[in-house]
Amino acid sequence: MSATSVAAAEQYDYEIIKKFSIMAIVWGVVGMSAGVFIASQLAWPFLNFDSPYLSFGRFRPVHTGAVIFGFGGSALFATSYYVVQRTCQTRLFAPGLATFTFWGWQAVIVLAALSYVMGFSQGREYAEMEWPIDLLILFVWVAYGAVFIGTLMKRKQPHIYVANWFYLSFILVTALLHTFNNLAVPVNLFSLKSYSLFSGAQDAMTQWWYGHNAVGFFLTAAFLGMMYYFVPKHAGRPIYSYRLSIVHFWALSFMYMWVGTHHLHWTALPDWASTLGATFSIMLLLPSWGGMINGIMTLSGAWDKLRTDPIMRFMIVALSFYGMSTFEGPLMSLKDVNALSHYTDWTVGHVHSGALGWVAMIAFGSLYHMIPKLWKTEIFSVRLINAHFWLATIGTLLYITAMWISGISQGLMWRAFDDFGNLQYSFVESVAAMHPFYAMRAIGGMFFLSGMLLMAYNIFATIRQGVRDADATQARSAAAAA
Amino acid sequence: MADNTHSQESSKGVQTTGHVWDGDLQELNNPLPVWWTYTFYATMVFALVYWLVYPSWPIGKGFLPGMNSISYVNAAGEEESWHWNTRAKLLKETQDAVIAQKTYYDKIASLSYEQIANDPELSSFILSAGKAVFSDNCAACHQSGGQGKVGFFPNLTDDDWLYGGSYEEINASLTKGRHGYMPAYGEALDGAQIDQLAHYVFSLSGGNADAEKAAKGKQLFHAHAGACYYCHGDDAKGRKILGSANLTDQVWLWADVPGASDDVMKIDAIKKIIAGGLDRGVMPAWEGRLSADQIKLLTVYVHELGGGK
Repeated sequence: MSATSVAAAEQYDYEIIKKFSIMAIVWGVVGMSAGVFIASQLAWPFLNFDSPYLSFGRFRPVHTGAVIFGFGGSALFATSYYVVQRTCQTRLFAPGLATFTFWGWQAVIVLAALSYVMGFSQGREYAEMEWPIDLLILFVWVAYGAVFIGTLMKRKQPHIYVANWFYLSFILVTALLHTFNNLAVPVNLFSLKSYSLFSGAQDAMTQWWYGHNAVGFFLTAAFLGMMYYFVPKHAGRPIYSYRLSIVHFWALSFMYMWVGTHHLHWTALPDWASTLGATFSIMLLLPSWGGMINGIMTLSGAWDKLRTDPIMRFMIVALSFYGMSTFEGPLMSLKDVNALSHYTDWTVGHVHSGALGWVAMIAFGSLYHMIPKLWKTEIFSVRLINAHFWLATIGTLLYITAMWISGISQGLMWRAFDDFGNLQYSFVESVAAMHPFYAMRAIGGMFFLSGMLLMAYNIFATIRQGVRDADATQARSAAAAA
Repeated sequence: MADNTHSQESSKGVQTTGHVWDGDLQELNNPLPVWWTYTFYATMVFALVYWLVYPSWPIGKGFLPGMNSISYVNAAGEEESWHWNTRAKLLKETQDAVIAQKTYYDKIASLSYEQIANDPELSSFILSAGKAVFSDNCAACHQSGGQGKVGFFPNLTDDDWLYGGSYEEINASLTKGRHGYMPAYGEALDGAQIDQLAHYVFSLSGGNADAEKAAKGKQLFHAHAGACYYCHGDDAKGRKILGSANLTDQVWLWADVPGASDDVMKIDAIKKIIAGGLDRGVMPAWEGRLSADQIKLLTVYVHELGGGK
């Protein structure tokens, strides 16, 4: 018995995955705390404490960086290394490089957060890191690509599993986006400040080509890769349709590339470019839904698991939020809808229905499935997972409902005219009207964060239990040998 | 582990592709859902129509302009027509609004302030347009209701005016802007003298000041050393021509006397202004940023906020 478990431990390289999993949890707690903090600042501005270091403007990228790249990124590194090894039936290629991706990536998150608090920012959303950090990301990413592709190349399976296509497209496209959006000239060698190679509308377009594809490939394609492994694995059911997975993979990859300009409707961007962004967003709806259908239909015949298994519930609710936000997105990208939604909290709510509902929940489900397997133990408490599930779901619903109401109210107030054709509300009146919803959003965030804290405890207890069991087994076999 | 008999597992008779990964991962070979396929085609048709309506694909140095068009009468009275574009839409909406409000603005230009204020229809318009223009341009300092902020920006809703509250005087303030200034006495006078002056100033509006100190302060006020009377006037009621404050009423702008909790703090607030002087009473000139008609409209609006004279 002990001989087989030793063999299993050596079959795959789990150490690197354990490190990334733990950091995903750590960054989840840090990033979501920062999120609750800045949401509270918007509702209760005294929380800025008149300090530049604690101000909303500097903490906002700390929040987005920690949740997207810290939590999301670490979860993707962990699961992609897990999935690619298990579905290729081989160990990681170049484990030294893989270790470098861990320390390099963690350094990126820490340095980025410190630089934002100190006031350094490129002013490009989700790409605020200044050039030295950009270069570090580049090295880490090339190493990541080498490890992943190298592992695929030495696979012992004839076919590449669908999850790996998605992970691979995420790695390739992120490299492309990161490189072009961050082309900049440093002021001098010892200055953190740099200027973009692009200017004006082209600069804006490059930024949103990056920005939306970061959503498309980092937060969607990669997490679909996660979904394609963990949903069928956890449900113990085959993927619903191989054909659908191929068609929606290529359609998704092709369509996403075009849609960034829908962030720049009604600006100096040429109208033809914004039209193309809108239409490709509409055509992206069904390719996005392909992933949702494949995930949810995979469960068909095993629906009873939803009643008993909170991990499965996380995954299915994640897919439902994914379906909802990929319906909402194309709708908001139409010129006339965007005229109402642009610059309002509706956009913030939309992002969070994707980020909390889809990205975080599918990651929670996958981590709950994977972490006990990494430490060869059972989850410490299923009841805590269940509590986490409800806290996360209620938190997400509170958040997006608050943002729908405040966003649509803002849009309507800003465009309201009285009988004489004069603006009915001043801007500050719309700000005052937002207050209750900002408070509601902060409370939603607190729900979500409490769930995250439960998860951190549950995972800590699970790992501790795994380590104790392993020690006990070792001691027993040592005693038996003696 | 990759047991091939497992790959024949089927759901509703559908075969798998025959591949197995990681022990049990398989894929069914279901066809694309029919509704999915047709809805996907429908979104493509929608995109095609959208391309025909709005400017779309770039061709050579131009682009497909789309069949949608926008036309409007411009400021010169000429009919203009464009293929649909964001800029033309803005110009059209702006121009439509200008035309809709033209009759009101024409009347504002031709009538006197009193006539405007007494015309019921026009004064409703002033309330609406005045609020919009005020909110966009004035409220950042004077606050949305015009109530100002002690220590920073004058209250426009009371009858206390630094530069005068008649229509003409308000109009002049708006058009040319204002720059209030008071020299600092922190070096010219010693601490005891500033204390005495502050007691005197506090006593002017009925404050509970030390009579002895106030008497000495009064001398300083009117003597060469302080020379306060030069700007604030012999009666300390201020001079409109300079924008100097009336010190005999209970209205405070710079020294936060109403916000101070006790008499010592109130006198401290006054001392701070005497010692430090003031150079922040700047109101920008709106000439050039707002039209003469808009300034006239704002004049009436501000006058009607409650304190016009």
